[in-house]
Amino acid sequence: MIRLENIEVTFGGFTAIPNLDLDVRPGEFFTLLGPSGCGKTTALRTLAGFIQPARGTVRVDGKDVTRLPSDKRQVGMVFQNYALFPSMSVWENIAFGLRVRKEKSEDSDRLVRDIARRVELSDEQLAKNVAELSGGQQQRVAVARALVLRPKILLLDEPLSNLDAKLRHQLRQQLKDLQSEFGITTVYVTHDQDEALAMSDRVAVFNKGVVEQVGTPQDIYDHAATEFVCNFIGDSSALTPEFVAEVNRLSTAGLSTEAKSYLRVEKASLDQPAAGGPAVGLAATVVSRTYHGLHSRYVVRSHGADIRLLVREDGAAHPPAGTATTVYVQPEHILQYHPDTGASLAQDRAVALP
Amino acid sequence: MSGSSTVRSMARSPFVLVVGVILTWFIAAFLVWPNVNILMATFFPDGSFSGRAAEKLFSSQRAMKALGNSFLLAVALSVTVNLVGVFIVLVTHYFRIRGSRILFLGYASTFIYGGIVLAAGYKFIYGDKGIVTSLLVRVFPGMDPGWFSGFFAVLVVMTFATTTNHMLFVANALKGIDYQTIEAARNLGASTWTILRRIVLPMLKPTLFAVTILSFLTGLGALSAPQVLGGREFQTITPMILTFTNSPTSRDLAALLAVILGLATMLMLAVMSRLEKGGTYFSVSKVSSELQKQEISNPVANVAVHAVAYLLFAIYTLPVVLIVLYSFADGAAIQTGQLSLANLTLDNYIRVLTQQSGLRPFIVSVVYSALAAVIAVGGLLFVARLLQKYRNWVASTFEYLLHIPWILPSALLALGLIVSYDHPNPLVGGAVLTGTTVILLIAFVTVKIPFTLRMLKASFAAVNSSLEEAAAIMGAKTLYVFRRILLPLVLPAAAAITALNFNSLLDDYDTAIFLAHPLVQPLGLVIKANTDGAEGTEGIANTFVYTVLLMVITGVTMYLVYGRSGRRKGTKRLPDAAPGQPVPGPDLPPAQAPAEDDAARPAAAVR
Repeated sequence: MIRLENIEVTFGGFTAIPNLDLDVRPGEFFTLLGPSGCGKTTALRTLAGFIQPARGTVRVDGKDVTRLPSDKRQVGMVFQNYALFPSMSVWENIAFGLRVRKEKSEDSDRLVRDIARRVELSDEQLAKNVAELSGGQQQRVAVARALVLRPKILLLDEPLSNLDAKLRHQLRQQLKDLQSEFGITTVYVTHDQDEALAMSDRVAVFNKGVVEQVGTPQDIYDHAATEFVCNFIGDSSALTPEFVAEVNRLSTAGLSTEAKSYLRVEKASLDQPAAGGPAVGLAATVVSRTYHGLHSRYVVRSHGADIRLLVREDGAAHPPAGTATTVYVQPEHILQYHPDTGASLAQDRAVALP
Repeated sequence: MSGSSTVRSMARSPFVLVVGVILTWFIAAFLVWPNVNILMATFFPDGSFSGRAAEKLFSSQRAMKALGNSFLLAVALSVTVNLVGVFIVLVTHYFRIRGSRILFLGYASTFIYGGIVLAAGYKFIYGDKGIVTSLLVRVFPGMDPGWFSGFFAVLVVMTFATTTNHMLFVANALKGIDYQTIEAARNLGASTWTILRRIVLPMLKPTLFAVTILSFLTGLGALSAPQVLGGREFQTITPMILTFTNSPTSRDLAALLAVILGLATMLMLAVMSRLEKGGTYFSVSKVSSELQKQEISNPVANVAVHAVAYLLFAIYTLPVVLIVLYSFADGAAIQTGQLSLANLTLDNYIRVLTQQSGLRPFIVSVVYSALAAVIAVGGLLFVARLLQKYRNWVASTFEYLLHIPWILPSALLALGLIVSYDHPNPLVGGAVLTGTTVILLIAFVTVKIPFTLRMLKASFAAVNSSLEEAAAIMGAKTLYVFRRILLPLVLPAAAAITALNFNSLLDDYDTAIFLAHPLVQPLGLVIKANTDGAEGTEGIANTFVYTVLLMVITGVTMYLVYGRSGRRKGTKRLPDAAPGQPVPGPDLPPAQAPAEDDAARPAAAVR
């Protein structure tokens, strides 16, 4: 559907993206995830036609669109702040693209009302000024404005970033529902890992203009391909060589003690885990406990490593700081990365870049 | 804090009471009474209502013609200023034009010279004995040397002089447009022209309404341009008011004309504030991205726009360049327009700066402007602080009254002062002020009040209120907090406001022409006198020198107040970077900074 091939983007002397290859499949919800300044928005804008790459090709449906202006690429875009035209009503905003195309006015009206109904905007709201709408309604106007031109691809540039937390959760679902309903190929940019994991079919994790990993949300979380991805997504504790050596002694895992090793917070426990593979127990001391209501966060020290873990607050007694305890770990959950390259040592599990 | 804003708590503070008493006296004596008095002099000359002044006015053909001319000028100016103003804003801020920085400097030349100075400059260059006219007459002996006069000349000069408002307000509004809306429109298939017409201009609408009304008022109250360039056949209201004021028998006519001008001004300002309230045109987004310049894709249009832009650049800069050049020239060169290196000397500067007659008007203006600027800022520091702190009906009444000079044309204010204080008046301790040197100082202070007050209030508001509370908790008293905490923080802004006030008063003509002492004439009046040709080429040369000196002073002040902060913003921003906050200027609150003198005095003559 969409292919970015050997894309290089530079601004003056600064190379934002050195060499980018991406493949987005038809109908997919594809997310570009990364910290700010990592090049994800640049990649999206290159796809949209707002940035001309120094090198490489952009293909939509097999057709080379690298030199085409934005409006000839059949891409619709929802901007970070929706970019609704403040001097126009909701109807005029949605109809803008149709009127530029010089569609007949009755056709425009029909198309506008049709799309408005599908994104659940009432006739009454169509007559309003955009400033009178709530954040959620504005988002639907922005989506309707993009979709009314029947683009092949919908691009979303952090559309939830300027909303408060509660609305963000609500609209995240709404946006995902709209996408499934229209079945349109969607490229979504965000720096919020939670959003990316919850909404996407596949995620590309960006760092400094380079894609570190592409995969399904679960792939990326459980089998982070690089140390950066491991640290950027989810919460994990760094392990010491002594700790890893102790795990090796207690099991047959044969982990490398040279590598940088991490353990996700939810993968360690103070009780023998009921499910999963064989776990080993290591002697540890409770350093601190923070109560969060639903659960408590513990920090326990074992063989020089500060292991963070979560304990469900289910009414059972919990050890206070200073007590000796045992921390249980399944060796297969330990994520290991090459100390120089940062690449995952679990080669067989890492997903190769497409 | 709620307790501190009641009227009763205000009355308990001795500091507030002292400031309140002085303020009440000032407002009553110099803002309210003169204007009430003028209404009474016009409509109740003998204690009972009389329409005689109106009858006299309507039967005077000259006066009616002037009224008509003023409205004609106002309407024409609203159109021409918008055409030129929007164009120069677009080529400097919206379109990608080669050399737009240079163009900007040319168009911005009206920031550093305006009013009588600009009118005089145009006359010396294009007028019947002007430099360019002399050159042209040599080439085309048949041409009319008086080609640059009347309605056409006034309109041209005022058009190019008043685009300052566009450069300030429209350019600022344009910068506020969220670039994402333009990208969105482009993504939806809109062309450059469609984007401009359907997206950008509609978003500028409220600002355009506002500057249109300011232009209309400028045209309506025009004084120096019609006086200098209008000739006999094109006279307008304000020059007419001036003429009528000078003879005691027709003073009621002057008053009536001033009242009409005042009413029209108030009406237009009311319309403006109505329009400002209606409708949201501003961006609804919280995060916006910075505007990027647009390419004009059509090559023919691109060339045409470049050509017009540079033509306008030439029109804007030619007077400045010629004035600077000829300020070094000798009398012969000025008279013939022919200039060679041999004619260029420093003689004019030496004469102006060393001879009593040349230097005196300059000194008079500097002293008047400095005194007025310092008094206005110094006095209003306390008032602004109190108005910002106490919010109740007493405070807002004071605030409204202090804005009287903003809504009334300066001709009306000046006339009010003349009429009210030409006999002993108990409000000023039984003194006669008309004809003294004090009255002009009072008027200068008065006209600067609204601008100074708004700017000072804004800078007090920008101070973090916790600072004050922290000081109060540690036991500091009101005056101590003011002196040790607030004043140091507001002082840079106050200095900047003083400088801007000083600048705009330096070349004042509109107020001085009514009120100046005959022996203590400020610069504006001397420049105007020189345009009448009484002083010969020496007068013209002096005017050029004055103009250059004024431009230097104004330019340096503007740079110190605005320029340094602008320079820091010049770093290039990458498209992917987070949308940055505008860097606020060090001296003025950012939202207020562009509101230079022009908004404060909408009815000022040429500016």
